Amino acid sequence: MISLIFFLCIGALLFFCLFFLARRNPQAEGSSTALVEARQALNTLQIGLLPVELVQRVFAKEDWDYVRSETPKSIHELFMDERKGIAVLWLRQVAEQIGNLRRFHRGAARHYAKLNPRVELQLAVSFAALTGACRALQVLVYLGGPYVAPHLVGAVANAAARACRMSEESIAFLNAARMGVLAVQRSHLAAR
Amino acid sequence: MTPATRRMDVEQAARDLRNRTLSDIPRSLDRLIYLASMRDYNTGLYYHDGLASRFTQEIACEALANCHREAFAQLLGCSLRDLVGQIEGYIESTHTSPRDFVAAWKKLEPYRVAVPVETDPVTAQLLFSSFKIALAILEARLPSVPTRPNA
Repeated sequence: MISLIFFLCIGALLFFCLFFLARRNPQAEGSSTALVEARQALNTLQIGLLPVELVQRVFAKEDWDYVRSETPKSIHELFMDERKGIAVLWLRQVAEQIGNLRRFHRGAARHYAKLNPRVELQLAVSFAALTGACRALQVLVYLGGPYVAPHLVGAVANAAARACRMSEESIAFLNAARMGVLAVQRSHLAAR
Repeated sequence: MTPATRRMDVEQAARDLRNRTLSDIPRSLDRLIYLASMRDYNTGLYYHDGLASRFTQEIACEALANCHREAFAQLLGCSLRDLVGQIEGYIESTHTSPRDFVAAWKKLEPYRVAVPVETDPVTAQLLFSSFKIALAILEARLPSVPTRPNA
């Protein structure tokens, strides 16, 4: 009787496993959607978040010097609150986009034999280090304001830009392949 | 029209716009407001009859969008001191009382609709935040209103 209950439990467990596997998101990690999302994450980082001009403006000490020397005390607090909020938002967005890229590479590594394992490993380490640095900086900025660690901010921005370039080069063959497929599809449509 | 020809036309139209119109608007804040006013808020498309007559509506729209992004980037690159100066200059050019202007801008935040489409949220937030601080600085600089003596 005990063994019957045991096997029934095993059966039920297997059934639930099958059920969850069947209900899983059908979008494969190596699909076009995943590639498009990875490209969007790269664009957001390279064009939106990591340009030097933007980073310099968010963490511009000259603005604080101006506010401190030429405005009343009531403005100081407003300025610090506003810039702290923007700095934390920037760090959160960078961490989020890095997370998106990391998820794509983790999935892509399983699907594409062309990916270089050494580069993927380097990227995995970079992504992990960047995520950790962003989280640490968020805490630092939250506690000490946007000018608490300017060198670390610069280092994170540079490391993120480097990781983006590596990621871009790593998945370049995928873009070319997709472009080839799109070109073939377009020529078929034109022929009709 | 090939993409290369189209790109060249857009660049030529943008150059035309810069030389004929935008060169007369020295401040990037004024350029941003002017270019944002060329956009239809229902469709997000830009209209400029003169430019459209010399090129096509699509080319003019694209050229205006490029110049709008350019003005936005220039304003974003300004220091806070410069932004305060630009807002002061803009107030002067509108012939509005600074007190009324600051009160209206603080309440309505019209700069929020002057941002180009597809601007990154962090970038947009940074500009909005700088406007908020700049307006607070200008408000603090306004002369205090004399209180009327009780009759």
